[in-house]
Amino acid sequence: MLELDSVRLVYPDFNVDYDLAVPGGALCALIGPSGGGKTTLLHTIAGFAKPESGTIRFGGIDLTPLPPAERPLSILFQDHNLFPHLNAAQNIGLGLDPRLKLSAEQKHRVDGALARVELASLGARRPAELSGGQRQRVALARALVRDRLLMLLDEPFTGLDPGLRIDMIGLVDALRKERGLTVLMAIHAPEDAAPVADLMAFIDEGRVAIVGPPEEMMQRGRSPALDRYFRR
Amino acid sequence: MVNRLPGLIALALIAALVGSAMIGLIVAGGGDGSFGPWSYIGSVIRISVIQAALSTLASLLLGAAIALALARRTRFFGRPVLIAALNVATVLPAIVTVFAIVAVFGRSGWLGDISRWFGFDYGSWVFGLEGVLLAHLLLNAPLAARVFLAALAAIAPEHWRLAAQLGMPPRAIFRFIDLPVLIRESAGIAALIFLACFTSFAIVLALGGGPAVSTLEVAIFEAIRFEGDFQRAALLAVLQIAISLALLAPLIFLFSRRAPEAMPTGLSALRPDIGATTTKLADRIILIGGGAFVIVPLAAIVVAGSSAVATLAVPVVARALATSVAIGVPAGFLSVGLALALATLGRHLRLQSSRRRTADLIGLTALLILVVSPLTLSAGLFAVLRSVVSPFAIAIPLIIIVNALMALPFTYRQIEPPLLLAAERYGRLADSLGVKGLPRLRLMDWPLLKSPLIVALTMAIALSLGDLGVAAFFGTGDLVTLPVLLFERLSAYRTAEAASISLLLSLLVLAMFLIAQRWSGGWYARTR
Repeated sequence: MLELDSVRLVYPDFNVDYDLAVPGGALCALIGPSGGGKTTLLHTIAGFAKPESGTIRFGGIDLTPLPPAERPLSILFQDHNLFPHLNAAQNIGLGLDPRLKLSAEQKHRVDGALARVELASLGARRPAELSGGQRQRVALARALVRDRLLMLLDEPFTGLDPGLRIDMIGLVDALRKERGLTVLMAIHAPEDAAPVADLMAFIDEGRVAIVGPPEEMMQRGRSPALDRYFRR
Repeated sequence: MVNRLPGLIALALIAALVGSAMIGLIVAGGGDGSFGPWSYIGSVIRISVIQAALSTLASLLLGAAIALALARRTRFFGRPVLIAALNVATVLPAIVTVFAIVAVFGRSGWLGDISRWFGFDYGSWVFGLEGVLLAHLLLNAPLAARVFLAALAAIAPEHWRLAAQLGMPPRAIFRFIDLPVLIRESAGIAALIFLACFTSFAIVLALGGGPAVSTLEVAIFEAIRFEGDFQRAALLAVLQIAISLALLAPLIFLFSRRAPEAMPTGLSALRPDIGATTTKLADRIILIGGGAFVIVPLAAIVVAGSSAVATLAVPVVARALATSVAIGVPAGFLSVGLALALATLGRHLRLQSSRRRTADLIGLTALLILVVSPLTLSAGLFAVLRSVVSPFAIAIPLIIIVNALMALPFTYRQIEPPLLLAAERYGRLADSLGVKGLPRLRLMDWPLLKSPLIVALTMAIALSLGDLGVAAFFGTGDLVTLPVLLFERLSAYRTAEAASISLLLSLLVLAMFLIAQRWSGGWYARTR
């Protein structure tokens, strides 16, 4: 269970105040207008932004005082998830040892993760030699070897073709079912996530405005703000 | 067509000047084949290579250390002062750097005084390889630091968040994030610094200590000015071009990238390696030590210069100032005009996809001038002109032209990217709206071009104001610029006068730099 309890952050021109509960093992899609606070929510959970007040709990542990590296989560950004001068396998290896001194067993795990995201033969390639979708698969593979129970995705598939986007979201869904991950996924196109998400949270003006199952959220008449967002 | 004519004229002019200079040198050097003392030339080249390699290595190491420490310590108390000093040191005329080095490290300089106070006299080691290295380091380490810092500041914020998320320790951050960026930037900047030190003139002439340390550039000057030996000068020039050409490949790489970025002032505090105590201590040592190495010589110029301001109130200084301005300002405008004409032609060709190669060649023309050093060009023009007219009689136009050409690689680099950007952004829109000719220039090009033009102009003027070699080469008793006067005062050990002229020159160049800084910041912000 992931719980955010009155998590407040104050910026010169923007305030946020989040309340959210996501059951363990669920996939929750974050939808809402750009600038509404989806990325800030994910950055706060990951520990890149410090809240003024409130608590963030996952699996009963208070994450708020922990530095980013000690939080039981992995995060994927829309871009720059890989270090450009390290190859795919090395980028994944960083998830096991941030000094990249890998044992044979760890190298074996990197190979396994590469195979799981269907890039078995591409470990030696650098990010520049991979397609956009392949790069995000490498980032997913790194999240896999880190083996943390919470996965945060900040629109990592936004730039990809529609078909590829569906495939990638399918892969995320499959991985979370295999590993029992809790997934929080900010998403640009809500209809992509609707088939796999257990929950959708509409983030607007720095707040979690409405939370509900996708079939309800995608329906008209749930709330005026949501209808305005969907132009319906 | 309006777009092409100025570019073609500029190209023809450059080709005529550089081409005739080269031919002049070859003809002058053709003679009977007795090229003079090979052993002397060999030793000049050997010591130049050693000197330039050491200067480059030291500049890169110190520059990288300062850049890394500045990138990590965004709240270091002396940060604004140090960054300002790095900027100033980069644009200091070489001959002023000489004064600063002598004023601090010389026998009667600050360090000499302090060591004598402690009862020992370290002699005049500043004249020789050590002094040349120190001056080159003072000029080039800040340049390297600025380039490195801009590159480090451009690292994607996601990488810092990722490093924090993965728990990378400081050493891993250095190895996997900082080091690759530093290495990537090194090739171009190393080539530029090596070329500058290999063809160094003012610093080597003043601090080289006679034949102990020399460069081909100084040897060319001496061959013609002191011995009238054109054959030797020609041979030296050809050797210098050959060696410089070999360095061009990494330079093309450097210059093909975007125009220089403004100094980042507000690096975000995202770096996860700022907390470790070992890096904290190391950074503090680097910032204070490296900072002192840059700041103290600058302070020496200000302190010594301002206490001797009265020595400026003599006619010879006023005349030198007027001569410098009369050369620097037209040279700046000429350089910008040539760059604008070439860049417009280049853009015209580039937009026709079939002639991209030709467009690249134009960019290369501007860059190739780096290889033809100021004194090579001067010597060549001298050789061509001397049978027609006394080069000394038309010295001022010659100095203006050579200085304008020398600034061309830098002015072209400022002007070409925004001109191309304007075409990329608005070209199709302007075509479809039918906006042509002057309105197009005013509405589409000018807003993007205004700032780079001012930056290019002030940079070219500053370069020309600081020139010693060309002015000394063509100069006679009547024609004395500020750098030439400074060199004379330094050679005569008239320290107070040298100090005040150094300060005056520094302030002139600094004024140019401040104008450029103001405008480049704006341009940078708008094109992001």
